[in-house]
Amino acid sequence: MRPTVEEQLLGTCRILEDVVAPSVADPFARTILDGLVANLRMLNGAIPAVAGFLQRDNEATVELLGALGPALPADVAARIAEALTESEPEATDGAALDQRNLRLRGLLAEAVRSEGIGADANAMIVRHMTERASRVPMRYVPTAPAASQSTASRTK
Amino acid sequence: MGTAIENSGAQAGDVAGAASPVGQVVSGLQRLIRHEIPSAQAIAFAGLARAAGGLSRENWSFDATWNDAHGTHAHRFMLMRDAAGTLLNTERSREFAVLKALEGTGVPAPQVHWMDPQGEFLGAPSVVMERMPGACDYMVLNGGRPLEERLALARGFIGLMAAIHGVDWRAKGLDRSLGLPEDSPSRAELVHWEGEYRRVQLEPHPELDLVLAWLQRYAPRAEAIVLVHGDFKPGNALVEGLRITAKLDWETAHLGDPLEDLGWVTNPVRKREHQIPGQWERRQIVDAYRELTGRHVQERDLTWWNVLACWKLAVIQLTAVNEFVAGRYSRVFQTPSWLYRPMFQMMEAA
Repeated sequence: MRPTVEEQLLGTCRILEDVVAPSVADPFARTILDGLVANLRMLNGAIPAVAGFLQRDNEATVELLGALGPALPADVAARIAEALTESEPEATDGAALDQRNLRLRGLLAEAVRSEGIGADANAMIVRHMTERASRVPMRYVPTAPAASQSTASRTK
Repeated sequence: MGTAIENSGAQAGDVAGAASPVGQVVSGLQRLIRHEIPSAQAIAFAGLARAAGGLSRENWSFDATWNDAHGTHAHRFMLMRDAAGTLLNTERSREFAVLKALEGTGVPAPQVHWMDPQGEFLGAPSVVMERMPGACDYMVLNGGRPLEERLALARGFIGLMAAIHGVDWRAKGLDRSLGLPEDSPSRAELVHWEGEYRRVQLEPHPELDLVLAWLQRYAPRAEAIVLVHGDFKPGNALVEGLRITAKLDWETAHLGDPLEDLGWVTNPVRKREHQIPGQWERRQIVDAYRELTGRHVQERDLTWWNVLACWKLAVIQLTAVNEFVAGRYSRVFQTPSWLYRPMFQMMEAA
């Protein structure tokens, strides 16, 4: 399908930068516009990776929850066991992958809040989370405003 | 760029466009000034412009003149108005009380003039304060200035922090306006920020739950209770030459643990703002603070505050995500996964 998603995103960036931006004189609006263009460029690279990321993360989270189950309180372990019996979505069904990811991560959040997780299990959890964080496809793109005179600009 | 508007009997909105943001601000300022100074006449504004920065509030600079029973007045002002979408839920009345209390303390801060706590005049909670000289530069410690100047400024910033922590908050009545933490300051902060986290999270974040559990387990006791700025950084200050002319953004100020501010500036994820590689790093900052204040500063406690600083940043970013999704915020933030690894590393090393 032409224009492709990539062509449309990059074309939108080009138009915003070449046609719209020169007419935006207000500094605040210009900062917002710059941020939106930067985010569209980030999305262009991230969108193709999202489904693969979710699929791999679901697999890794299932494996982790399965390993943690015996160390968790019975009610949490039971919910996890039930979730692990469910079949995984098709790799092409982005919405189902996302829903599955929400469910599994909700259970992982419950698990990490549980008392009595040992050092080995904790290390396994941290490894999983660190590895996941390194692969997240969508990232914030900072576009802080330049130095300003006598003003109170801020970024949290 | 700015807008010059004189009120000669016509509605300000007639000049600037009543429905435009500028028109709303002009109209609101006129009504606020008339409310505060009933005898004010010939109120005029010049140079009204919204600054490019300001993720939590709208910042408008303007000059104002008026006549009243005492004569003619001319002031350089900043208006801080809550944005429709905001990263921090704060109360203008707290900021107003702190700025009033700082008058006469030697801590450089804008003189505050008026407050619209409920947005009766300006449509959203607002404060009007003196516009101070100087420039705001987030990266002033790692910018183009010579090293000696940057080091002098770095020492100035930590001296300013010590001065803020040295404010006699009891004598200034800040315990009445800000409140004292009922539990230890660390636990009070955790309760507050966990509430924010639960309020804004749109999906599970097991990483943040894991860190929260660690923070709850190891919350330290405070060595002292001081006035804490709450967002201490070069980007919240004005600098002229080598002089810090004003510390800004007092909306997060509260009474708490001095290590909260120290933990914020020694937070490893914001080194580029607060530290100068090889010259002004964690050890030098902590040593300088100890020398200035006489406090012990336990490393383990400071690390706890470093982790909390990252966790707070994560919650603030989730607030932005929530506000963006709700259609109230005009910048796109993402889940703060970049903060997870540094937090885990600090927890491991503590």
